[in-house]
This record gives sequence, structure tokens and C-alpha cells, in this order.
Amino acid sequence: MKGQAAALRRLVAVQGSWNYERMLGVGMGFSAAPLLNELRDRDPDRYHAAKVRSALFFNCHPYLAGLALGALARAEHDGAPPEQIVRLRAALCSPLGALGDQLFWAGLLPAALGAALAAIAFGASWFAVAAFLVLFNGVRLYVARWTLATGLASGMKVGAAISASQLKRLVAVAGPCAGLATGLAAPLVGEWLLGPFGPRAVLGTILLAMAGIAASRLAGPRYSAPRFTLIAMGGAVLLRWMLA
Amino acid sequence: MSSPAVTVVLLLVWGTLVALDLVSVPQMMIARPLVAGSVAGWIAGDFESGFRLAVVMELFALDVLPVGAARYPDYGPATVGAAVLVARHGSWEESLGLAVALALIVASLGGWTLGRLRHRIGRAVQDAAAGLDAGDDAVIRRLQLGSIALDASRGLLLTTVALALAWMTERWVVLDAGTAVLLTVVAVGCGIAALVGGALRSAGRGARLRWLVAGAAVGLLVVWLT
Repeated sequence: MKGQAAALRRLVAVQGSWNYERMLGVGMGFSAAPLLNELRDRDPDRYHAAKVRSALFFNCHPYLAGLALGALARAEHDGAPPEQIVRLRAALCSPLGALGDQLFWAGLLPAALGAALAAIAFGASWFAVAAFLVLFNGVRLYVARWTLATGLASGMKVGAAISASQLKRLVAVAGPCAGLATGLAAPLVGEWLLGPFGPRAVLGTILLAMAGIAASRLAGPRYSAPRFTLIAMGGAVLLRWMLA
Repeated sequence: MSSPAVTVVLLLVWGTLVALDLVSVPQMMIARPLVAGSVAGWIAGDFESGFRLAVVMELFALDVLPVGAARYPDYGPATVGAAVLVARHGSWEESLGLAVALALIVASLGGWTLGRLRHRIGRAVQDAAAGLDAGDDAVIRRLQLGSIALDASRGLLLTTVALALAWMTERWVVLDAGTAVLLTVVAVGCGIAALVGGALRSAGRGARLRWLVAGAAVGLLVVWLT
């Protein structure tokens, strides 16, 4: 199918017009355009109907959007019944959202950042930042190519292709890696940052951190780290002023 | 590294790119405070101070899980402004706390602007419904590129606000050294609380929690041994 490289480039901005009306819909329509161009000469009616469907409501994790984009474009080229294409589009939202969130936002990203922070505490400096960017974007680009190719190859059978892939296994590994890396980073970074301030600052920080963690557990969704921090800073300034 | 005007322009460009990266394009993680703050510190002439600030802000950002339609602070441009404040001060120990406070306020403002942007794009989509229902390629393209341009404007504005607040803070907020250091210690403590709190929420009660505890135990052991 022609237009794959252009579709891949456009997928990088698939969230460019994210909104509460169609969410990723317009971005998907923009990314689908190069893949649907071949239909224009072959079947103009189908082409116009496919263009309309391509920009309907859609939402999923942006890094896995290629699976849906490729599968839906393939289904349009194969002449699948329109109602089945719309149903497939709706059916892909939740699994691709949940898988991507667990794999990237709750897995690879905190794992890579936790590792980078731990490396910084050991003196890696800018090298850790560069390594994080290269590692994360290397995986992301590989996944982008794989998702589009897999979607285009499987069409209406994309669900089976997702089940047969390594995605679920990677999710199972990414979570523990993220836990390990962030757990490792917390004391190391704390020591790296507080080194110049002495043991009293370390003790104060530990107490404050425990208070913050307790507040986040007790307040639940109402807890906000920025709000807690600004209140703690205000309290610290007030306390110092009163003791002066 | 260059004249003040060039530095300001570079910071504005960098802040705008960082804001775009959060959601719109290309999501290559330059919006992470660790990256945004390090580069901003380097542009402002003191990489090391900007880097320290970037690490602390990253602790706060790791508390956020940017899933679905969730609203969250926009830490990128905020970190750019705060990194400049630290870099220009000369002593990160005495300026980091104040800079973190500035960044948290601007980041919350950034989160609000992101919500407004989404509503505005939603209204544009409603207005273009006829074109979208007709499968008009030009309408889809205009919506997509127009939305990215709007987000770039949002990023530029937010970075300008962050830099202006950093400049005003540097000029008008005077703290004694003890209070300034106390704020830095509070900022680090709250950052670690945000990191651990976020990690505990993500971990739940399963295997991930055990790995989190194991990681923390190894980290504490290394700190104790070194």
C-alpha cells in the first residue's frame, strides 16, 4: 500500500488536535489520508465514505494508534462492510488505550526515568539524559513502525494480531521494572541532592517526604503534589519567621 | 554563552517546543522536566544548576500518569523558566526552593491552559462538522495544523510568563540565606514524596509493589555503604 511513510510521519502528531469532541479522531483522519489516496481513483464513493469514517471519534494511546490506523486502512482497501469498520474502530479504543498506558506511561517511561535518575546520582550527568532520550525514542520509533505494519497486514483481524504479539508480555515486565527503578532512584537522588546540607536536612526531608506520602494516601484523588509543596513551603517560611 | 537577547529568544523557542512535545507533537519526551530544565540551564549559561532543578522537577512529574483525558500540570515550560532563575542566581542551594515554587505555580497554570486549548479545538471541530461529515481533506488538514499552531502559541505564552516571573522573582524576591536553603530542602522532600507517592499508587498491591520495595532497599543500602 502506498503512503506508509507519510502516514508514519503524520502519526507522530496524531494528538495534534486532541479535543473532548472526537479526541484523536481528527488526528487519525489526518494520518489516514496518505493511506487512502489509492482508493480515490479506484472507487471514489468508497474513498469519500472512508475519509468520513477516518475522522470519527477515536481514542487510544498515541504510540499504539498505528495498529488501528493500519487495520482500518486495510479494511477500507479490502472493501469490508462499513458497519464492521465502525465497530472495529470503536472496539480498538479501550484495549489500545489500556495496553499503551500500562506499557509506556506506567512502565517504560518511569523505568527509563528512574534508571536515568539513579545514574545521575552516580555522576552520569548529561549522559544519563541523552541515554534516556535515545533509549525511549528508539523503542517508540520501533513500536510506531511495527504497529503500522502489523495493522496494515492484519486488517479486520488486528485483534488476533494484538493477542499474538508480545505486547501483553512486555506490559508484565515493564511494570516491575518501573517499580524497581523508581524505588532505587528515590534514596539515591535524595542523597545526591541533600549531600551539601548535612544530616539535619536529610532527617527533615525524610519526615517531610513521609508526611507527603501519608497525605497522598489519605487525601486520595484530592491530593496534589504542587499544592502540598506550596503549603509546606509557606509553613516553613512562617515557622522560620516566628522563630526568628 | 551568547548575548541576552539571543538567550531569551533561544529560551522562548525551546519552551515552545517543550510545550508542543507534551501532547501535540512529537511526544519525544523533551517535555520531561529532566530534559527541558537541563537544556534551559545550559542555554542560560549554568548547566549544573539547571540540571539540579531539572532533577527535582522530574520527581514531581513522575507523580503524574498522563492517561486519557486526565488534567495534569504542564511542567515543561515551567521548568524552563525556573531553570533560568536557578542558573542566573549562581548558588543552586539558595535558589532551588524558590525556583521550584515558581515552577509549580506556572505548571498548574499550564495545565489549565491545556484544558482551555482542548475546549477551543473542540469548538473548532463542532464548527467544522459539515466539512468533516463530507470527508473534506482540506478541513481535516486545517483543523490538525491549526490546532498544533494554537498549542505552539500556548507554549510560547506560557514560556514568556515563566521567564517573566523568573525575572521578577530574581529582581524583587529577597530571602535570607537560611530561609532560601530551608525552601530548597522542603522542595526536595516534597519532590521525593511525590515520586514515592506516585510509585505507590501505580504499584497497587501486586508484584510491582515488591519490586518497588526491593529497589528502595537496594538504594538505601547503596546510600548507607557510600
